[in-house]
Amino acid sequence: MDTLTFLLSGTLLAATPLLIAALGELVTEKSGVLNLSIEGMMALGAVTGFIVATASGSYWLALLAGGVAAAALAAVFGFVVLVTLGNQVASGIAVGILGIGLSGLIGRPYESSTIAPMHELPIPFLSNVPVIGPGLFDHVALVYCAPLLAVATWWLLRSTKVGLVIRAVGEAPEAAHAIGYNVVLVRFCAVLYGGFCAGIAGAFISIASATLWSDGIIAGRGWIVVALVVFGTWRSGRVAIGAYLFGMTTLAGLLVQSTGIAIPSQVLTSVPYIVTIIAIAMLSMDPQRIRLNAPVSLGQIYHEAK
Amino acid sequence: MKRILTAILLAAGLATTGHAADLKMGFILPSPAADVGWAKQLDLGREAVEAAFGDRVETTMVESVPEGPDAARVMNQMISDGATMLMLGSFGYMNDGLKLARSHPEVAMIHASGYKQADNFATFTARNYEGFYLGGMAAGMVTKSNIIGMVAAFAIPEVVAEVNAITLAAQKVNPEAQVKVIWLNSWFDPPKAQEAARALISQGADVLFSLHQDTPSVVNVAEAEGIYVVNTSSDMSAYGPNSVLASVTNDWSDYFVSLVQDKLDGKFKGADFRGGLSEGAVKMAAWSKDLSDEQMAELKKTEESFAAGQSHAFDGPIIDQDGTERVAAGATLPDGEIFGMNWLVKGVDGSVPN
Amino acid sequence: MSVFPFSIETRTRRTRFSAIIPPLIAVCTTIVASIIILTSLDVSPSRALYYLYIAPMATRFNFAEVILKMAPLLLIAQGLAIGFRARIWNIGAEGQLIMGAIGGSLLPIWFNDSGNILMLPAMVVVGAIFGMAWAAIAAVLRVRMNANEILVTLMLNSIALQVLYYLISGPLRDPFGFNFPQSALFPDVAMLPILLANTRANISIFFAVLVTLLAWFFMQRSFPGYRLQVGGSAPDAARYAGFGEKQAIWVSLLVGGTCAGIAGVFEVAGPLGQLQRVVTPGYGFAAIIVAFLGGLNALGILAAAFFMALIYVGGDIAQTSAKVPYSVNTILQGVLLVSYIASRVFSDYRVRLRKPAYNRQERV
Repeated sequence: MDTLTFLLSGTLLAATPLLIAALGELVTEKSGVLNLSIEGMMALGAVTGFIVATASGSYWLALLAGGVAAAALAAVFGFVVLVTLGNQVASGIAVGILGIGLSGLIGRPYESSTIAPMHELPIPFLSNVPVIGPGLFDHVALVYCAPLLAVATWWLLRSTKVGLVIRAVGEAPEAAHAIGYNVVLVRFCAVLYGGFCAGIAGAFISIASATLWSDGIIAGRGWIVVALVVFGTWRSGRVAIGAYLFGMTTLAGLLVQSTGIAIPSQVLTSVPYIVTIIAIAMLSMDPQRIRLNAPVSLGQIYHEAK
Repeated sequence: MKRILTAILLAAGLATTGHAADLKMGFILPSPAADVGWAKQLDLGREAVEAAFGDRVETTMVESVPEGPDAARVMNQMISDGATMLMLGSFGYMNDGLKLARSHPEVAMIHASGYKQADNFATFTARNYEGFYLGGMAAGMVTKSNIIGMVAAFAIPEVVAEVNAITLAAQKVNPEAQVKVIWLNSWFDPPKAQEAARALISQGADVLFSLHQDTPSVVNVAEAEGIYVVNTSSDMSAYGPNSVLASVTNDWSDYFVSLVQDKLDGKFKGADFRGGLSEGAVKMAAWSKDLSDEQMAELKKTEESFAAGQSHAFDGPIIDQDGTERVAAGATLPDGEIFGMNWLVKGVDGSVPN
Repeated sequence: MSVFPFSIETRTRRTRFSAIIPPLIAVCTTIVASIIILTSLDVSPSRALYYLYIAPMATRFNFAEVILKMAPLLLIAQGLAIGFRARIWNIGAEGQLIMGAIGGSLLPIWFNDSGNILMLPAMVVVGAIFGMAWAAIAAVLRVRMNANEILVTLMLNSIALQVLYYLISGPLRDPFGFNFPQSALFPDVAMLPILLANTRANISIFFAVLVTLLAWFFMQRSFPGYRLQVGGSAPDAARYAGFGEKQAIWVSLLVGGTCAGIAGVFEVAGPLGQLQRVVTPGYGFAAIIVAFLGGLNALGILAAAFFMALIYVGGDIAQTSAKVPYSVNTILQGVLLVSYIASRVFSDYRVRLRKPAYNRQERV
């Protein structure tokens, strides 16, 4: 493994869970709901996926189970914000904490256990190309799925009836209701979908990339996911670019350290966060761009019986 | 009202049964006592105490107690539950433990990795650098790329000493050997430890050192990438049957048992214990079968010489990164400087904060 | 909404009674949840209740621990609530607390043998400025560049932690501490006076209560407080009141940062006595729960901070005495806030069972 191969393959590995979860959060936010509980959902997905993979040996079943577990937690979130009309910021933090606590309790017997990594799926021909072959085309299937999911999400939101309804509900819920859409139901489904994606992303970390379970393994990645959606100004292509950039910046920091340059390692550790802040500030500067893509009703409580 | 409720609950079966242990001992661990790791080794020490004293000593254990303002509460709760001996398993419990030791002279405490003692407050540290010196020798022997990588959490003196020991040893058997370090600056982030491991591999490292990582994260990467790894605390060969070159493990059984005996005999002293290979506090485990008989003989020879006190990992001459001679030929670095190390030896690619 | 057999209507008037319902439901749900979880872990319900809710108040020491834990939660939550009422979401109290702890540590580290009694007040001022300045970064970026304050404050948490790690392993490290990453111990004049002898409870609780009273007066009784709420929730309307969105952002973040910064000083000048790697066990995040649990109301937050501190201390006791895993505490915090937010529907709205006829009518 040379530097470039590492940078490419490491970036894909680090960015894949971030991207999958962020694309789910994108759909949730497009429907007008801000879900800040991604960290807890990823943790629950990670532990559930790990346990199912250990017990059944089936990694696909494990990914599915991770998604379902996190979607169940998302249902709690959906109930609180959509049915009992709770504040979305507070509910997100509350449900996130619940998820982190649950994952710690469920995962206690599996603490520090490892698991055989998921099988890689080298792409014929391409994986034999030097450098970029092993860097880009020799990974588990989910790594290739992530950019496809970005395209699918773009297509879904832009060109399908479902996407139109989601956007309508996020832009103008009253109007969407007036023309006969069930705003609450649409948003609930979007929340479940977002949770499902976050769960798969968590399970990816525990069974495909880290291949171990330990309490706290998500280590703040759920918050990066939320940041990525804003970073991507609610467009799937830009979210994808953001995810890969973030992964690459983190790895570049580690690489620079390993060359022995005398920059304090704490500075290098901070770089991805500083870059994220600067990027969000630069991208947000143009109000036009935000107004074009940000769901108007994001974070607002929707109550039909006005 | 409060008192009535308390009384009712006590009547409801809360009153502790009159158990007749001579000593109640509490163990406070900073991380989960999982299958492997620092906390696991301390917990094995606790089991050794139970095995040695049977009904005479009753132990309790609390895991995942973070450093910071909350640890004192756990210590205090243990004391009010009747513990008269405490084992504090993390450096960060030092000041709270000392304060409590002063106000509870009847309680004996033993504290990991600290440097302050009191009459009823003893400290213990592992001379892990001895084990890592052996690991460094083995790494120097097996490396083909002559690049050795290390993944470490924080640049505390103990870890800096380990980095230096590894480098000195590797260069002794292989003058071409070069060492690269990545500091994670994070309490706990196994995926990041793995990314760091892969970054080191991409820079040519073919032997990795997992310094004080409680999970087998780095071992996992080494196994997957087909390179060697030396890890800390526990034998991790089950996680990397082909990749673990050696495990530098800790064994606190003898130490804990002897201090509990002292406490029972009323002879407890707040001494400082620095245990290495000779005391059995550091033990080498899981030597790889890939090491040849000659190599193993050389490693065993050094191990025995360390254990017998004939040689020392920090025997001079030692030259630091700037080219300054820190230890002259024929001299040995004194303990005080080993346990406060904040400089790196020549040959390390990396820096420590100053 | 037709799947649910009830309808939710806007409440025209809030009664005194309705305001107590949500916290009551939340506390009951949390107690029931704790019994269920602990029973599943082989701890009898009576023991569970005793450890979690009674033991923390049963001894002087434990009660002092509740007070000690409550002070930073209360102080930070009051600061955050002012911003939250204006819909400015400062999620960065954790980082602001860390910066406050750093700022507050500078004087006692630099003048380590000082006996000047003005040390402590000066530390509070410096720490407050540090916390405020850290929050000001988010305010500038939001006001000037429209950057989302949730994300900026969140990222600033991670950066503050690295700043702390850098400083204690270099510039602020104890020169006689064998290069361990921590500062020298503070001199006596830099430490908060202890409230109850032989406990750790210090006078920071008085300060937190004072801030509570100020916050109550500011939000309930003062015109700027009213304008702040309007400024955040309805920018257009606020402009007429002469208090724009920008002022609301500045006031919210600076007040939040200041309170968190002072809480940071109180941690290093209280239970810690030095600057070290861990200065907060997550107070910045827990205070967000406290703020919402108190209904963003100054007096409600007082009660919420007490209850949170209680389950924290109770959780530690249960962990020590009954071997209950650490995660149970986290779960209970989640249950507490989730059930509170959900039951807010009973106080903020009127929940009515649907009559079948009414239901049919609506579907038309």
